[in-house]
Amino acid sequence: MNRLSSAVPAEQYLADSQVLFYLNDAVTQLLDHKEEYTQFGLVRYFAEYFSSVKNSNHVLFRELNYIRATQHNRASFIRVFWRCFRQIGKSGDLLSVPEYRSLLQLLCPDFPLEAVQSASRIVLADDASDGLMSFSDFIYSFQLQFCYQEFLDSIQVIYQDLLAGKSPNTVIVPTSSSVEQLVSVATEESDREEQQQDAVDSSTLAECVDALCERSKHSYPSRTCLREVLEQTDKVSYYGFLQSLANHESINQTIGALPSKEELLIDPEMDQELDKLIAQISVSPGSNSSGSAIGGLKEVQRRASPRRNIHHRRKMEVESDGSTEETDSSEN
Amino acid sequence: MADKEKRRSAALPSGMSSGKVVKSDSDREFLEQAGVGDLLRGAILKMVEARSDDPIGFLADHFCNLASVTDSGTAGCGDEDQQQQSAGLAGAGAHEQQRLNRALWHLRLAHHSQRSAFSNNVRVAYDLLNLNGCLSQASENPEGPDGSLLVVPPDAEGSGGVKGGLYMQTLECLCSEGGVPASTSAPLLRRLCCQDHEAVPYDVFRHGVLTCAVFSDYIRQAQRLYAEVCCPDEGPASRALCSAVLGTLKEALETSQDCDANCFVNANTKSSACLEANAKAIRYLEASAKISPHKLAQVMAGAQTSGPGGNMDAKEFENAAADLFIARVKVVS
Repeated sequence: MNRLSSAVPAEQYLADSQVLFYLNDAVTQLLDHKEEYTQFGLVRYFAEYFSSVKNSNHVLFRELNYIRATQHNRASFIRVFWRCFRQIGKSGDLLSVPEYRSLLQLLCPDFPLEAVQSASRIVLADDASDGLMSFSDFIYSFQLQFCYQEFLDSIQVIYQDLLAGKSPNTVIVPTSSSVEQLVSVATEESDREEQQQDAVDSSTLAECVDALCERSKHSYPSRTCLREVLEQTDKVSYYGFLQSLANHESINQTIGALPSKEELLIDPEMDQELDKLIAQISVSPGSNSSGSAIGGLKEVQRRASPRRNIHHRRKMEVESDGSTEETDSSEN
Repeated sequence: MADKEKRRSAALPSGMSSGKVVKSDSDREFLEQAGVGDLLRGAILKMVEARSDDPIGFLADHFCNLASVTDSGTAGCGDEDQQQQSAGLAGAGAHEQQRLNRALWHLRLAHHSQRSAFSNNVRVAYDLLNLNGCLSQASENPEGPDGSLLVVPPDAEGSGGVKGGLYMQTLECLCSEGGVPASTSAPLLRRLCCQDHEAVPYDVFRHGVLTCAVFSDYIRQAQRLYAEVCCPDEGPASRALCSAVLGTLKEALETSQDCDANCFVNANTKSSACLEANAKAIRYLEASAKISPHKLAQVMAGAQTSGPGGNMDAKEFENAAADLFIARVKVVS
């Protein structure tokens, strides 16, 4: 694409590539761990850093601000989450919001509860926030929520306005700091209103969404997909809309972090590894009974500070993917 | 570019974790001493020049390549190192292999349509390959830490060219990396061939490299064209349709070539340069009109009713298309 339009100025190309963000972070990391990396070789350090960004391993154990900073980072985080915990989906366990948050905190220590709650509302259609969710239901909703959070927040505001009968044209897109306040107020209001009326006219919402795309500075799902989903019904509720988006295969493909729903849990290589591991555990005399992935993970969480330890290991082998981390921790 | 640089270096201190002045001073010193600025500036310049579609991947490859050069191939993060290690067994050949790998890496940096970047990279690759065997000690690492080539004194390339063998190897690698099967590229390489003992001058080298790069693109397009013509479920495409498409392709190529011929004739008269450029552009437009979807559809519709029976498989189509291209390549002698 860039190749055909060599007229793109260097500044524009650099800004689009987001390379400066990564260079900035790489240098900051370098300064925080000077001694280690100087030993390692500086060129080698940058090579490892960018290889891990390319392979999506760079978000492991990083802070939320970093993970949310670029669309690539967000997608990478979803991918890492999937790779680390898909065994849970396989075992068919249903987990609650706090449990999913614990898993996320293993990868990102300061991961907030609200983001998990928002995802759960998509799965559970806004009620029973203490309900249990399957891994695959959760991860696709979480993906949508996490990748397009700002955009979805704006839609929610529009939706509430439509419900309240206000003209959508007067809608002002809130700045990100005020979003949460507005949303929480709006949700309370809607709780009362929803008893009488819990859906809006799809075509009206479609118009507003289209206008929002026009002026949105944040990423959003493709407009064709948005329109397609809204054309399916006459009336639509906010969470119904989000649910359809979360399950939309081509939106999932565009994000590019997860396979399709049918293939989400298929992974012969991982199965083999796990079988081997389980065989080892059952043979070794000192093994405890925590054979299941969750048992092992919860144990890690209880330990004082796994982060330093794993973080250190990561530098040595940036190439290793999440699965090794998981294997290691259940061995301990 | 320059102000971008300034912005970046200005952004660095503010991004540092500790706000202490003392710390940020020592950080700056550290970065200066370690040459991080030069390293990153070189990388960004390369990246902007190549305008890669995958900037992150580009930087990863760039630093990996630099690392493998500075580590002299002890540890690696790419297949290139494996190649180097296996080549290491060959002793003397290893140096040559390493230089070839690096030259190829430079050639891969930019697509040939990015003409000035591509030309720069061809020059760098040529100079790398042209390093005389006896000079290899002094020019062990002709690349600076930022990946830019240090200026080679003119008398260093005195012997006058890349060895023919290396040149041919480069072309072979370019074709096979471009996804062209050896059997398809062989006739082209015969036309571009230089003998092992010959010293290949820069012009010939550039011509060969560019031809192979364009040829790889062309073959990929031809493969796609065949895929369009044939319906995958119904086996190979009909011969009639394929011949019609190839005929159209040939016609278009002939149109564009006429213009090249004209230009060569008039190349000396500078006054008519503008006219020529116009004529050339018109020719290209004409050529592309000849292979427009509309024209193709017409021809194919005609071919469906009349024309030879039977089928043509993908390989035969590819060969026929390759022949059209190769017939237009000058023989290097």
